[in-house]
Amino acid sequence: MKVLDRRKMILVNGVLLILLALSVIACALLGPVRLDLARAWQNIFAANSDAEILFRARLPRVLLGVAIGGGMAACGVVLQALLSNPLACPQMLGVSGGASLGGILGLIFFPNWLLPIASGLLGEISWVPLAAFLGALLSMIFVYRFSLFHGRLHPYHLLLSGVIFNAFIAAVIMFLNSIVDFYQAQGLLFWLMGSLSTRAYLTVAFIWGYIVCGFLWLWAKGLSLNLITLGEEAAMQLGVETAALQRQIFVASSLMIGAMVSVSGMIGFVGLMVPHVMRLIVGGDHRLLLPASFLAGGIFLCWADTLARVLLAPAELPVGIVTAFFGGPFFLYLLYREGGKKPAL
Amino acid sequence: MSYRPKILAAPLFVVSLIVLAAHASFVQATSAPYPQRIVSLSPSVTETLFALGFGNRIVGVTTYCDYPAEARKLPKIGGFTNPSLEAIVGQRPDLVIGVNESSHPVKAREMERLGIKVALISVTSLNDILNSIQSIARWLGNPEAGEKLTQKIARQIDAVKKRVAPAPRRATLLAVGIKPLVAVGGKNFIDELITLAGGENIAGQAAQPWLNLPAEYVIAKAPRVIIEAGMGSEREQPAKRWQDLKSIPAVKEQRVYYYRSDKILRPGPRIGEGLEEIARLVHPECFAESQRGLNPGSGCEGSRP
Amino acid sequence: MNPSILIRNLSFAYQDRAVLHDVSLSVEKGKMAGIIGPNGSGKTTFIKILSAVLSGQGEVTLNGRNIETYGRRELSKLIAVVPQESRINFPYTAAEIVLMGRAGHHGPFALEGKKDLDVARTSMESTDSLSFSNRYLHELSGGEKQRVLIARALAQEPEILLLDEPSAFLDLKHQLHVFELLRRLNRERGLTIVAALHDLNLAALFFPRLVMLREGKIYRDGPPQDVLSEKTIGEVYGIRVRVERDPSGEKPQLFICPSL
Repeated sequence: MKVLDRRKMILVNGVLLILLALSVIACALLGPVRLDLARAWQNIFAANSDAEILFRARLPRVLLGVAIGGGMAACGVVLQALLSNPLACPQMLGVSGGASLGGILGLIFFPNWLLPIASGLLGEISWVPLAAFLGALLSMIFVYRFSLFHGRLHPYHLLLSGVIFNAFIAAVIMFLNSIVDFYQAQGLLFWLMGSLSTRAYLTVAFIWGYIVCGFLWLWAKGLSLNLITLGEEAAMQLGVETAALQRQIFVASSLMIGAMVSVSGMIGFVGLMVPHVMRLIVGGDHRLLLPASFLAGGIFLCWADTLARVLLAPAELPVGIVTAFFGGPFFLYLLYREGGKKPAL
Repeated sequence: MSYRPKILAAPLFVVSLIVLAAHASFVQATSAPYPQRIVSLSPSVTETLFALGFGNRIVGVTTYCDYPAEARKLPKIGGFTNPSLEAIVGQRPDLVIGVNESSHPVKAREMERLGIKVALISVTSLNDILNSIQSIARWLGNPEAGEKLTQKIARQIDAVKKRVAPAPRRATLLAVGIKPLVAVGGKNFIDELITLAGGENIAGQAAQPWLNLPAEYVIAKAPRVIIEAGMGSEREQPAKRWQDLKSIPAVKEQRVYYYRSDKILRPGPRIGEGLEEIARLVHPECFAESQRGLNPGSGCEGSRP
Repeated sequence: MNPSILIRNLSFAYQDRAVLHDVSLSVEKGKMAGIIGPNGSGKTTFIKILSAVLSGQGEVTLNGRNIETYGRRELSKLIAVVPQESRINFPYTAAEIVLMGRAGHHGPFALEGKKDLDVARTSMESTDSLSFSNRYLHELSGGEKQRVLIARALAQEPEILLLDEPSAFLDLKHQLHVFELLRRLNRERGLTIVAALHDLNLAALFFPRLVMLREGKIYRDGPPQDVLSEKTIGEVYGIRVRVERDPSGEKPQLFICPSL
């Protein structure tokens, strides 16, 4: 019998971890501007343009990409399990729509309020991400209330509420788009297509901590996630408190998605595609699928962002365009090749 | 038997055509030689009309038309990208003026179908702007006013050119958006203004007029002057935003400015003024008033790029 | 006598449609009981209530404790359910499915240990499904899938096995196979077995006790020869049959009499 054992866990996660480390280094060294590495290291603390490019402009961005790519992929995995639907993705819950709307409203009405935290070393931290997160929370509560039937979160209703809510939010955003001026419209695009351009290490650290905590918590539920994909009844009969689990997964993933969208806008496709690709490679057991998807998502977004920076240099593309553009066809190709076969490992 | 209605229909048809044509030419013949009721689809057009002395002929402006002050009291016909066809028709204009670099060409076709006369101007380059001022003056029946205005602007531009001529070009970043960082690119009049002001637009070789710039690019291009311009919103202390990138000369030397006005962002009659204000930011040493009797502007020559 | 399952005055209604009325019965440890009745008589609902998927009014006691006092994890080690069919949208192998039955026996981060693998292997052996343990569930035939699901239930190491129409989608050979397996499990492991059944002849051959439900109430409860008669079938199923004995002479078998 071929089953998931410790050896496979260590092997897969180890390889992915190494690939991730290499990707971070590579992506930090790549960009539209040529970097003189030696000079960057020599006077790292002085006002050295190479050091600044590497450590102030690129590295925070790469690290943020890893965290958000991993977080989106992990949320995609658990949402596909929760909704028992391989087509589920973080955008479906309505949380990302609410976060985008919150961020856009923040951008329109008070774009320049700053948090009273010393800028400079840490970059500026504005109220806009907080407005976005507030939007995420409100939409989470809203969708939750509408999906609750007899005290249980029914996956079907959750999916429906999320989709309808998103459609409504999209209409509101389009309305706002038609009344803002040209310059604010650029900001809107950022929210809708995602961008990783932040320089504040504090923000990056915060997001990292938040996402890693969320991820570890979800990973601990790996076995229950396996069971819940067998169907709600079967899961109950095998020992899972399904009602509680559904609530917990919904809240945890909503909070994670809300935080991520607040900082980087809605970066789509990662949460849909990475879980599928990893499922084809390592199988459907969530105890391995979750960490593997987390790491693979980080690698993927890291490279996607590098492409976003390099493709149309000196202009940068919103990273969401790159993820959709390259992710989609690659996924189709993989499905075509591997669809009917067993997992590779 | 059934031929009879057709026989009648033909001459009836011809007669109605004749009547229609006569009516149309009658209408044209009785309209004034120059348009008296004008709708402006763009703030820059509104400013131009007022500057040329045609402010009293304007019957409709956009919600963004805020200069001069009188413009704010005029009836509104919608926004810049989405003017309201109904509102425009409601004002019964003789002429609607819009700009090519927007959604106006498409709207123009709709308006012409309703019998409204539409004229479009190009405002991509400085030359375009000056030409368009003259075109508008001609259409409205006062070409001399157009000449005067364009000459005035040309003089303003020349004055600035002379002032900054001795100084070497200075790498400049002109940003019109912050999150995300949107910079002025190439092939547009603002880029020309930067060049005329003695600056070197760091994003000037880009093909797009606006582009999102990654921070690392700005660091690499090391501008000596950073100007944040934008419509409307208050931005306090732009310098703070850039503080962690001290290797950029503009940050190190504290030459990060916030330029509130849209004089340089609107392709209208105030670009000359805007140019001077920008040049003062890019080359302040060329505008230092003379001290100890030295000629004004002579402090310019020794300045670093 | 401490019955494994004790049900008193159980009633259940789906929103406005009442399904079970005041049902009371008890099943001793190690006994087999077959629940029969036409569609809509409440068989599946009954199984669901016994496995705590649904909760009705009345008292359901398992091993002397009210079912509501059990946590789900604890319950999964006591009762295992073999559903009628399994529509799973995700790719799992048969082995992975069977191992999921072990979920109640180890902690959240833990991977399956030797004991889990042994139990799974044994379960698959007894259901004759070990040969396709590495094939995907969606590649298997209906009968093979059913055997995997039974193996999963066995892997839970339960005391009580519940089955919901286990032979519904199987061909004759596999139907027989499943019933023989159930009898063997009952004899060799002392499993208490309660199954909702639709094939009356097979039910009569393999189950020493039948509970006939009619419109949510218990109509007859006893050995097959008492429960299955031309009269009872006529009243509950509304069809005409002739009841004979099987070759051994003990069990009743039904011959359907179509109306011309």
